[in-house]
Amino acid sequence: MKTIRRAALCLCLASSLLYACGGKTQEGSAKDAEQKKGSSAAAEEKAESESEKQGKAASEISFMIPDWGVPTEEMLKDFEEQSGVKVNVLTTGWDDIRNKISTAAAGKTAAADVFEVDWSWVGEFQKAGWIAPISLSQEDMDDMLSAKTFSVDGTLYAVPYSNDYRIAYYNKSMFDQAGISEPPKTWKEVISDAKLLKEKGICEYPVSNPMSADEKSTTTFLWLAYTLDGKVFNEDNTLNREAALDALSILDEINREGLSDPANRAVSEAFPRLRNGEAAFMVGPSSNVMAVNDPRKSKVVGQVIPILLPGKEAQAEVTTPFAEAVGISPYSKNPEGAKKFVEWYSSPEVQYQLYEEISNLPTRTSVLEKLLKDGKIQNPGAMLELAKRIESPFPNGVPIYYTRMSTEIFNTINQMANGKLSAEEAADQLVEKVNKIVKEG
Amino acid sequence: MKKENLTPWLLLSPCLLIMGSTVFYPAIRTFLFSMQRYRLTESYDIRFIGLDNYRSILSSPEFWTALSNSVFVLFFVLLIAFPVSMLTGLLLNRKSPLNSVLTAAAIIPWALPPLVNGILWRFIFYPGYGLANRILLGLGLISAPFPWTENRFSALLLAALVVVWRVIPFGSILVLSSLQAIPTELYEAARVDGSSRFQEYWAISFPLLLPIFPILFLQTSMAGINVFDELLALSGDRYELSTLLVYHYRTSFRFLDLGLGSAISYLILLSSGLLGYFYIKRIGKERSR
Repeated sequence: MKTIRRAALCLCLASSLLYACGGKTQEGSAKDAEQKKGSSAAAEEKAESESEKQGKAASEISFMIPDWGVPTEEMLKDFEEQSGVKVNVLTTGWDDIRNKISTAAAGKTAAADVFEVDWSWVGEFQKAGWIAPISLSQEDMDDMLSAKTFSVDGTLYAVPYSNDYRIAYYNKSMFDQAGISEPPKTWKEVISDAKLLKEKGICEYPVSNPMSADEKSTTTFLWLAYTLDGKVFNEDNTLNREAALDALSILDEINREGLSDPANRAVSEAFPRLRNGEAAFMVGPSSNVMAVNDPRKSKVVGQVIPILLPGKEAQAEVTTPFAEAVGISPYSKNPEGAKKFVEWYSSPEVQYQLYEEISNLPTRTSVLEKLLKDGKIQNPGAMLELAKRIESPFPNGVPIYYTRMSTEIFNTINQMANGKLSAEEAADQLVEKVNKIVKEG
Repeated sequence: MKKENLTPWLLLSPCLLIMGSTVFYPAIRTFLFSMQRYRLTESYDIRFIGLDNYRSILSSPEFWTALSNSVFVLFFVLLIAFPVSMLTGLLLNRKSPLNSVLTAAAIIPWALPPLVNGILWRFIFYPGYGLANRILLGLGLISAPFPWTENRFSALLLAALVVVWRVIPFGSILVLSSLQAIPTELYEAARVDGSSRFQEYWAISFPLLLPIFPILFLQTSMAGINVFDELLALSGDRYELSTLLVYHYRTSFRFLDLGLGSAISYLILLSSGLLGYFYIKRIGKERSR
C-alpha cells in the first residue's frame, strides 16, 4: 500500500512537472482517433500558418530605437501605405540597445530588423557580423558627410539619421560685457578671454568642458586633438603623442586656471551650463544650436552664437562627427522591408519631417540648408559651414576595441583633471595604454 | 531498503532539475568560459587558453584596486552598520506613540532601489553646491565647496555610507524583532533587583541578541560586497573607484569579454564563498549549542 502511494505521489509530481513544462494538455482516448484524423489537417494548417507568418514577416519589420529617434504614428502610417511594410517600433534606452543586439546576435537571431547604431559601435558590430552592409548612392554619401564614420574598408554598414558634430559656442553678451568684441579663434585666445571674464566677475567658470570619467571626455579629447593637429591616430591606429599632448595641455590649463567648473570633474553636466548662463564658451554638440534658443531650455536665448572651432594658430578647418545611425541585422527575416525602411528613414523628406516633429537634426546637408532657408533654425551661426567640414578622426574607421580605448582615455583625463597626472604624464600613459590595446586588437 | 532510498530522490527530482539547469549548469559553463578566450565581438575566435584569464586578472592593477576598494567599503559598512542597527533597534523598541510611524520611516531606505539611493546621494554630495556643501558653507565650516567624489577615499567612504543607510533598516528591524521576543519578566526581575538600564541591556538584551549577530553580519557583508549601483551613480566608471562588481560589469558587459568576465566571476565567488563558509560554520556551531 505504501509503495502504491509513493508511486502515485511520484507520478503526480512528474505529471505536474510535465504539465508545467509542456504546452497543450493531452486529449482523452475518445479523441485520439479524431486527433489522428485531424493530424494531416493540422499539418496543412501548420504549413498555412507558417506561410502566413512568412507573409506577415514580409510585411512587417521591427525597429529598435531610443526615444529621440521614434517617428510619429502618422509618419509610420505613411510609410506603411507607400511600401506595404508595417513597422513595430521598440523604443529602447540607448544603453540597453548594444546589450540586446549582442545577446541576440550571439544566438544568431535579430533583436530587431533595423536598429540604432551609435558611431562608436560600428567597428565592433561590423567585425562581429552583427550589421549587414548597406549601399547608398554616391550622391547620398556626399549629402551625408557623417556616413563615412559608418564605413569600414569602404563599405557602408549604417546610415546616419541624427546629426551631431562639434560646434563652438560663445555667449556674445558676456563677451561684450568684458569688452571682448571678437570671438576667440585660437585656444590661446579662448584661455585669455576666459581669464578676463573671470577677473571681471562676469562668469566664474567661463569655459565648460567635460572632464568626468565618461564618454563625453573621450569625445572632447578626440575632437580637440583632431582639430588642433589634423590627426589623433597614426596610420597604424596607434595614438599620436604630439596630438594627444596638445589636447591634454589645453584641457589641463583650462582646469588648473579654474576656468572650468570643478564639478565637471565629477559629474557629466558640462553641456547644459552654457544654456543655463553658467559658462561663456563651450565646444559641444550641434543640437545646442536649437537648445540655446529654446525658451523652455535656455536662460540665454539670443545671446549665444555658434562659431567655428578654435585651432592652434587660427580657426580649425574641420569638425568631427558623433552621429547616430540605423543598421540592418543580417539575421533579419525581412531584409527587403528593412532596406526600404532605412531608405525611407534617411530620405530628405523624412529627415525634414523628423526635424519638425521631434527636433532631430538631419544628417543631409541639403536638408539642413533647406531648414535654414525656411527659417526653422534660429541663430545658426557657423552651423551650416561646419556641417560641410565634417571629418572622421579615425583613419581606418572606428576600431573594434573602441570601448576599451575610450575607457582608458576618459579615466586618464579624469586623473589629470583631479591633479594626479600632469599633461605630459597623461599623454605618456595614454600612448602606452592605447597602443597596448591596439596591439592586442 | 534500496526502494526507500530512491523515493526521496524521486521527490527531489523536480527541484534538482531546476537547480541543475539554473544554478549548477550555468556555474559549470561559466567556469568553462573562464578558461577560454571568449569575446562576444570575436565569436569566430573562441579558443581554450587554460588559466591565462586568471593570470591576466591577478597581474592586472585594476583587479587589485577593485579588491582593495571592495575590502575598504565592506570594512566601513560593517563598522558603521552594526552598531547603528543595534542602536536604531533599541530606540525603536522604546514605547512611544510614534513607534509605528518611525518604524515605517526607517524602512524607506531599504525599499528604495540602490540606483535611486545612489542618485539621491549624488545630489546631496554634488561637488558644486549640493545639499551637503550648502549646509557646511552656511554653517561656515568650509569656505569653498568640498569635492566629495574627487578623492578616492572620500568617494569610497561616501559609497559605504550610502550602503549603510540602505542596510540599517533591515538590521534594526532584525534587532527590534529579537528584542520584542525577550520576555518582559526578565527585565522586571532585574529591576526588582535594582539593576540600571545599562545593566539590563548588558546582562539581558545583549546576550539574547547574540544569536542574530551572524545573520546581521551576513546581511551587511552581502550589502557591502554587492555595492554597485551606488558607486556608478555617485562617480561613474572610474578605475580608481571600481569595486569587484563594477570591474566585473565593465569587463563583461562594456568590453563584452566573457572569458575574462567569467574568470572574474569565479574569483568573486571564491572570495565571497570563503566568507560565507565561515558564517555557515559559525551558525552551525550556534545551532549545535
